[in-house]
Amino acid sequence: MIRLACLLVLIALVIVAFVAIDPSGPNAILFSFIGMPALGAGILLFGVKRWRDGALSENRKSA
Amino acid sequence: MPKLVGEVLLLTASASDAWSAGVGNGATPLFSWPPPHRGLDWLQILPLVFAVPAAAVLLIGLVRGRLVPAVATAGIVFLPVAAYALGALLIMEDSKKVAFCGSCHVMTPIVSSLTGDGDSLAAVHYRRGLVSHEEACFVCHSGYGIWGTIDAKMAGVRHMLRTVAHDYTFPIHLAGPFDIGSCLNCHARAATFRAVVPHQDPDTQQALARGEMSCTGVCHPAGHPEEALKGPAS
Repeated sequence: MIRLACLLVLIALVIVAFVAIDPSGPNAILFSFIGMPALGAGILLFGVKRWRDGALSENRKSA
Repeated sequence: MPKLVGEVLLLTASASDAWSAGVGNGATPLFSWPPPHRGLDWLQILPLVFAVPAAAVLLIGLVRGRLVPAVATAGIVFLPVAAYALGALLIMEDSKKVAFCGSCHVMTPIVSSLTGDGDSLAAVHYRRGLVSHEEACFVCHSGYGIWGTIDAKMAGVRHMLRTVAHDYTFPIHLAGPFDIGSCLNCHARAATFRAVVPHQDPDTQQALARGEMSCTGVCHPAGHPEEALKGPAS
């Protein structure tokens, strides 16, 4: 699960790099409709992983 | 060493004002306005500053399959969110530029028509330098005031959605009446504008204010040439 979260956020960051290098309409579309959902999904997966690992309880494990 | 310092200072001084430096080089500084960007474009660099360390953390996580929680939180949440916030700011700022609008193929012919010999209202304004050459689309299509800017950004998101869904037909047309606040923002206080008899007519003023008629099409030429609205294949 952590690998999938990392992959999704990595995809989002590659798109940010595209936008930073060439801020254009097509890259803005990628940023808004692929990058942002990928970032959101990655963070959500990470949150679920942390919650399942007991991050909110007393017995914590590493991510 | 002092010579090296002197050279660095000289380079810094000459780079700090590229526009005035053009005078000495025999260039045409008056015609090359705006001057080249001074220093680093931080709005383009800052998203990368946050994205690169985050990517390093993510690559380690991808290979190893586990991360220290604090590092994982920074690499998966905080640094990417910061990179995205700065990226969004960059897009918000750069989407005002004519080059940004022209980068989508639907708009390319319209942007190209600005520099042509046509008599469309946009081309006339652009050619005479009555609107900023960098932000001409935004100046006329954003409406007046902060709500105009917000409306323009919302319209930009709708344009992106329609582009992704291929939900558009040629010739493209403006969604709703043109906000004449953009025109009046410059013209309303001009004596030449107020002196025109049709502009003084109360009925015309009411019709314009209610959006029942537009400046273009009837009294003034169309905003953009018909051919440009038919898409890039025309």
